[in-house]
Amino acid sequence: MMIVRTPGRPRRRRGGSVAALWDAGPLTRVTLLATIVLSLFPIYWMFVVATRTNDVVGATPPPLTPGGELGRNLSRLFGNEQAHFTLGLVNSAIAASTVTVSTLLFASLAGFAFAKLRFRGRGALLLVMLATMMVPVQMGIIPLYMLMAEIGWTGKLQAVIVPFLVTGFGVFMMRQYTMQAVPDELIESARIDGCSTFRIYWSVVLPVLRPAMAVLGLFTFMQTWNEFIWPLAVLNPDNPTVQYSLNLLNGAYYTDYSLMFTGTAVATLPLLAVFVLFGRQIISGIMDGALKA
Amino acid sequence: MLRSHRRLASGLVSAAVLALGLSACGGDGGSGSDSTVTLTVDTFSTFGYEELFKQYEADHPGIKIKHRNVVQLDEYLPRLEQWIAAGSGAGDVVAIEEGILTKFMAHPDKFVNLLDYGAGSLQGNFLDWKWKQALTPDGKYLVGLGTDIGGLAMCYRTDLFKKAGLPTDRDKVGKLWPTWDDYIATGKKYAGAVKDSKFVDGSVNLYNTILAQAASQSVGYTFFDPSGKLVAGSNPAVKSAWDTTLKIQQAGLSAGLKSFEPSWGSGFKQAKFATIACPSWMLGVIKENAGAGAAGKWDVAAIPGGSGSRGGSFLAVPKQSKHAEQAAELAKYLTSVNSQIVAFKARNNLPSSPQALDDPAVKSFKNEYFSDAPVGEIYAAGAKAVKPLYLGADNNPVGQRFEDALLALEQGRLAPGAAWKKALADAEREAR
Amino acid sequence: MTISIGSRTGPRAAGPPGPPAPRRRARTVLARWDVKFSPYLFVSPYYLLFFLFGLFPMGYTVWVAMHDWELLGAHEFIGFENFRLVLADPQFWNSVRNTLAMFVIATVPQLLLALVLANALNQRMRARTLVRMGVLVPMITSIAAVAIVFSQLFSRDFGLVNWVLGWFGPEHLDWAARRWTSWLAISVMVDWRWTGYNALIYLAAMQSIPRDLYEAAAIDGASRARQFWTITLPMLRPTIIFTAIVSTIGGFQLFTEPLLFGNGDMAGGSLRQFQTVTMYMFENAFRRFDYGYASAVSWMLFMLILAGSLLNFAWLRRVGGGAK
Repeated sequence: MMIVRTPGRPRRRRGGSVAALWDAGPLTRVTLLATIVLSLFPIYWMFVVATRTNDVVGATPPPLTPGGELGRNLSRLFGNEQAHFTLGLVNSAIAASTVTVSTLLFASLAGFAFAKLRFRGRGALLLVMLATMMVPVQMGIIPLYMLMAEIGWTGKLQAVIVPFLVTGFGVFMMRQYTMQAVPDELIESARIDGCSTFRIYWSVVLPVLRPAMAVLGLFTFMQTWNEFIWPLAVLNPDNPTVQYSLNLLNGAYYTDYSLMFTGTAVATLPLLAVFVLFGRQIISGIMDGALKA
Repeated sequence: MLRSHRRLASGLVSAAVLALGLSACGGDGGSGSDSTVTLTVDTFSTFGYEELFKQYEADHPGIKIKHRNVVQLDEYLPRLEQWIAAGSGAGDVVAIEEGILTKFMAHPDKFVNLLDYGAGSLQGNFLDWKWKQALTPDGKYLVGLGTDIGGLAMCYRTDLFKKAGLPTDRDKVGKLWPTWDDYIATGKKYAGAVKDSKFVDGSVNLYNTILAQAASQSVGYTFFDPSGKLVAGSNPAVKSAWDTTLKIQQAGLSAGLKSFEPSWGSGFKQAKFATIACPSWMLGVIKENAGAGAAGKWDVAAIPGGSGSRGGSFLAVPKQSKHAEQAAELAKYLTSVNSQIVAFKARNNLPSSPQALDDPAVKSFKNEYFSDAPVGEIYAAGAKAVKPLYLGADNNPVGQRFEDALLALEQGRLAPGAAWKKALADAEREAR
Repeated sequence: MTISIGSRTGPRAAGPPGPPAPRRRARTVLARWDVKFSPYLFVSPYYLLFFLFGLFPMGYTVWVAMHDWELLGAHEFIGFENFRLVLADPQFWNSVRNTLAMFVIATVPQLLLALVLANALNQRMRARTLVRMGVLVPMITSIAAVAIVFSQLFSRDFGLVNWVLGWFGPEHLDWAARRWTSWLAISVMVDWRWTGYNALIYLAAMQSIPRDLYEAAAIDGASRARQFWTITLPMLRPTIIFTAIVSTIGGFQLFTEPLLFGNGDMAGGSLRQFQTVTMYMFENAFRRFDYGYASAVSWMLFMLILAGSLLNFAWLRRVGGGAK
């Protein structure tokens, strides 16, 4: 869809044609088929249970085809007073899109600076950033929680947004990609034309970064949408994110698998849709080495 | 260049505004527009207050009530504790379960003194021990007003009893098991006749019930004595409840399910057990779990071993509330004799008020789902004879370690002696 | 994997062009400021956020860890007492053991499977992109969703896994009750979600291996298997190490899967058989409300990850030098 052939696009197959070397044999085909079946089955099972009543759990043999209860399950899901599912979806959509937009902006800006600009302390700053990437997220959760309690952000949506507006991983990924994808000559000639640094970033660098940004964007959105621990710690049950909502469904005092699975299916659907729509670009982004550090 | 910098600046600013602007979401909701006051009420499980809230709002035009309920007590308690400690986040009226009350009684200043809001005159509306539980020892500071108590009974499935050739009439069933030994004997008869289900749901629920019963009939405390000292190893009630549970387990009567887990819920649906010890608040839980398919199949009989109380709660007004006066009024309303009767009818939460317990509406109340069992009569009968139970500040975590040990026993992972030792050692750790 | 830092190995930085003589002075000054300060402006958001929400809280953890810091109650300075207690705490070491074990039994098969899978994907076939998407799709599901679905699949009485196993013999296996079975079930969740992702990273690396190497080997009469061992694997070594490091950091922080597998029980089973270090940290912070002790645990977790990553780095330097 938007695979832009830019002059600086990395050549991925040195000394070889695009076509693979070998034809897939029967063993390979069986392996891949089995993998795909195993990959898809739990997701499929999620949707099967979501379309049936709670009685299917424990039934032998288990039903392997969808039933006709989806509508009823959906209305029970959105009508559930404990889970605040609609609010959870809205909250997650706000949080994930804000974090994604800001991560893409800040990470590409910083990545560009690290890859192509010369400034004092660049090496040291980069080293510090790499070191921070080693720090486990969970480690800061307790003090971060205490900080949030101190400034009165517990229970509020900004608590799951603001601390994550840009990540070291994003900056590093963008730096790696900018280094290999943006030719220096392009930047130099823009300089000679009198472009400001930001202008160079905006008009020259950004267009080249698109494939990597597609991958980073999806990953960031996915990560924020799927984040579980931090919302659980800092938010309250009456203002949850969608994953927290799922946990509330899970923790109800009676177990309704069809309701829970409907919840997980609805929570997965947006990401699934994005994945199906942009799958081709995401795959080609990964193949381009967007994830290779 | 200036232009592009401006663009960057405006980008940064709009990102910041976007982020900060979100602070409008999920606000505390404490302040309504001009004259309307919104009171937030925090509860867990089911309190049966829905009708009462509507009534109160109708009677008090300036008041709006926002109800926040968390189903799981384990999920609710840590949050409540955090809100209270942080001085923000809690509702204007909060439900306090008896297990955590002791902890809050050590910090009464975190709550308003309800005696300052005219609650003193209401003392006669509560069972004496219930009133005293939320009162500081000097009698000057009242932290909470009692809602319900957890009278005990034994729920059973008539269809499974019939299959086993046991009587199904609730009076006759009650007579089968005056003591826990009789209960085990009945269980063995059941196990001899029915193979595809067990007699009782699991050790966890059973142990908690027997412990509350044994403790309130003897020393009046469980894991901690009233001075706050851990006495799990020396309190005979703790050990005798353990031994009784173990006997039931070793007789092969338990389905090995842990209360409030998904498999426990599925166990209700699939009729995997025939009896479950049921404090009054458990009736609603059973109904939700077993579902419409089991309507009329459950019944309620007397519990082996005599009266006792397990569970029960209070309503309090945190100091942090901006509308303490209105909140105190609401708390008084929700714990009034009449409200306790309404809550009982809605959710079978057994009143802590002697007047409500004596009320014909409670005494004559029959629960349709439970084969029209006269639950009012069954639970209210022993309620006034119940002796108070003191629970230590770390009662919940220590109790969980005992549950874990019993579960490990049930899973065949530990021998009885080792499980008991482990429970005691872990209890020491929790109480540290 | 090439992590190059500093200007030595980095690409030639695009310096400012000399200011053209006839331009106005103000413009020149602005241009100089632009060149001088823009880089700092560009990188500052990350450092600002990191300082506020990363570094400051982490430093504060040290302070908290040196106190008997209970939620309701006094904050008493006790020095290194919490650290001493953690080191002598069998529950802590139990959680370390569980974490390491689950890390190994999840990561090793995962990376091996990913290699096999990448090798399979690196062949000519129809609907290539579709197949790759099919392999990657588990990654987009949330951990909570995975845990909910898999916990049901692995449940004792009504799970699909036990139903299938029932054909072969063992009935009603209680996966959560035993140490090994619970580890296995949790590892399956982790692997289901991440194997395809790692396979695609390997595939990307495989495709950048020069084709002539294989052609030359084929002329020498090397079999496919031999080509895989002598060419593919050595060329992939840096990528394998990279994925190993990422898996280390992820694996040491394992939390949501075991938590939801045990239905939200922070203790991780009746005998703490699947409680990870992160769960133990949470239990101390948000169940026991012993912030001081929990902070000490979090520092121990950090040390563990640091040790694990350093081991990986040492390995990287030793074996990665030639392959770069």
